[in-house]
Amino acid sequence: MTLFQTMAQMDSISIGLWVTGFMLLFVVIGVRVAFAAALAGFLGLLWIFSAKMGFERGFLVAMKMAGTIPHSKVSTLALSLIPTFILIGFLAYHAGLTRALFEAAKRWVGWLPGGMGVATVFSAAGFAAVSGASVATSAVFARIAIPEMLKLGYNKRFAAGVVAASGTLASLIPPSAILVIYAIIVEQDVGALLMAGFLPGAFSALVYGGLVIFLAMTNKNFGPPVRGFSWKQRFESLPGALPIFFVVGIIVVCIYGGVGTPTEAGSLGAFVILCMALYKGMRWKELKGALIETAKLTVMIFTIIWGVLLYVRFLGFADLPSAFSEWISGLDQSPMMTLVFILLAYAVLGMFMDAIGMLLLTLPVVYPAVIALNGGEGVSVADSAFGVTDVGCSIWFGIIVVKMAEFCLITPPIGLNCFVVAGVRPECSVQDVFRGVMPFFVADALTIAVLVAAPGIVLWLPGLMGFA
Amino acid sequence: MAGSHTILEDDSALSRADQLFHKVESVLTLIGGIVIFLLVFMATANVLGRWIFSLPISGYIDWVEQSMAFFAFLGIAFTQREGGHIRMDMLVGHIHGRPLWVTELISTLLMLFITLILIAGSFLHFLRAYQIGDSSLDINLPTWPAKLVVPVALTILALRLLLQVWGYARAIKRGGDRPVAVPLIESAADVAAAEAESLIGGAVDSNSGRNES
Repeated sequence: MTLFQTMAQMDSISIGLWVTGFMLLFVVIGVRVAFAAALAGFLGLLWIFSAKMGFERGFLVAMKMAGTIPHSKVSTLALSLIPTFILIGFLAYHAGLTRALFEAAKRWVGWLPGGMGVATVFSAAGFAAVSGASVATSAVFARIAIPEMLKLGYNKRFAAGVVAASGTLASLIPPSAILVIYAIIVEQDVGALLMAGFLPGAFSALVYGGLVIFLAMTNKNFGPPVRGFSWKQRFESLPGALPIFFVVGIIVVCIYGGVGTPTEAGSLGAFVILCMALYKGMRWKELKGALIETAKLTVMIFTIIWGVLLYVRFLGFADLPSAFSEWISGLDQSPMMTLVFILLAYAVLGMFMDAIGMLLLTLPVVYPAVIALNGGEGVSVADSAFGVTDVGCSIWFGIIVVKMAEFCLITPPIGLNCFVVAGVRPECSVQDVFRGVMPFFVADALTIAVLVAAPGIVLWLPGLMGFA
Repeated sequence: MAGSHTILEDDSALSRADQLFHKVESVLTLIGGIVIFLLVFMATANVLGRWIFSLPISGYIDWVEQSMAFFAFLGIAFTQREGGHIRMDMLVGHIHGRPLWVTELISTLLMLFITLILIAGSFLHFLRAYQIGDSSLDINLPTWPAKLVVPVALTILALRLLLQVWGYARAIKRGGDRPVAVPLIESAADVAAAEAESLIGGAVDSNSGRNES
């Protein structure tokens, strides 16, 4: 039997496994993820159709099918939200929001033990919320907050650790592009996901804040408080930071109150930040730079979305996700144990790969398995394995994996946030930052455990909206 | 990883082609950015119009959907030039010199192959819409212009990939660690620093010819 005959006679699941194997090989040798997925998807379609109708017709059908996907998958109303969120991020710096936020936070919470650390956590959380980019947030605050903390006699490792960790708060607090991407891949409501991230994000920020206070109280001379701001000075610091609250507020109001679509909320936010940036002296040169960077990041995200969806199209023919789901839910151990293993696998994967790429590549196969693990579509709370409905499970799992992906930004060996802080501040070595971030790392692991154990924290707000 | 990578330049034919092409790519990407800008204005006008005057923009959804292909595709070659598409650099981050350039050549050829397939497929997709006069649901905008953007942008990407194939082949022939016209592999910290730089808003021009890292 020739190779071609053998290939033509394989069952669809074996084809799925081979093609997925090829895709992983492409990814490992460094093919850009979007194209690795698209190539694997096309080869898979070609394989399946050639087996049915011969190579020439099979090639034509696979090519036509693949050719429709980039345009049709990209022109979806829900996805139009992504560039608006990204634009907000690139304009936020020009609107002078970082300094304004840090200054306001310093005046309001500086009196606490480790006050500057607490101020860093909250201002970074606020800025991260609008910028949506963890790494960039860490870089910006490494420039602003670390010098101030060192001047006050803060422990170097502590200061660096706070900044590296605070950047990771970005992905859960709305607006979060990565949650939008998750929602689209798993076909869940974008608004519900964005709302679901709000409490866990705020919760993480509070945990970080509490941890800073605890560390400053238990270690002498770790982080002295900053006193002496009058109430007048405190209130004076607020207007500069207001756009942040406006952006988060408008998104929450639009989506929660149902008075606008997420894209409209994102656009309103971008519009306000734009006005602010123009007022602060941004001109065409900076705007042009911000537009090009926004377009570039948008293209990157859209490319990986259609690339992966091309692969997903093939998976649909290959039945691989359902086979994987059957296998996972048939395992002889508790579903919770399996879920923990899946999360650990993400922790390892996240050490080597960008969060967006990692989620998009794995979700098409892993997500149906997690839903099946919970008891499948339409399961009632009583019958489910994790005590949540199918919709609840998809929202809850989304928040946990996104938190997991952010967690990887501060884990050795390549926690990107730690490298960037060390890179921006020559006085801190990478080891310093990794040591300083250690307590936050432990706190994050506990936060994830709490979110896994108590889905209610995630599902309360979406529940009020009628989801979950 | 996302972000900008360093691309070296000299006065060879390859580098000159790269720089010339980069200008075209930059303009296309800027057009994409401007479309995003217009989208923001339109959505703002739509929501304010609805709230204040109960008067939303007619055909808003159609306009948004037809505009998306422009910002989703026009910058695709520019992003490839700067090494902006996500990838896993576990392997390529650890090899150097010729083995690295051979690996890069292989992955670029694989990308070129799928890009060519998609050009043909998406062109047929456009042609169908053009021939049957396909239009959007609400206000009957023709859909072919947005569909034509895909094969056009992918063709520019294919040319960019050809340039990179040329760049890597030249690097294999000459050896060395710092070839021109291709994105150089950088450490996690360099990539992160560049990303922060882009946020703070280094002008576009600073992406080309940076040699300091």
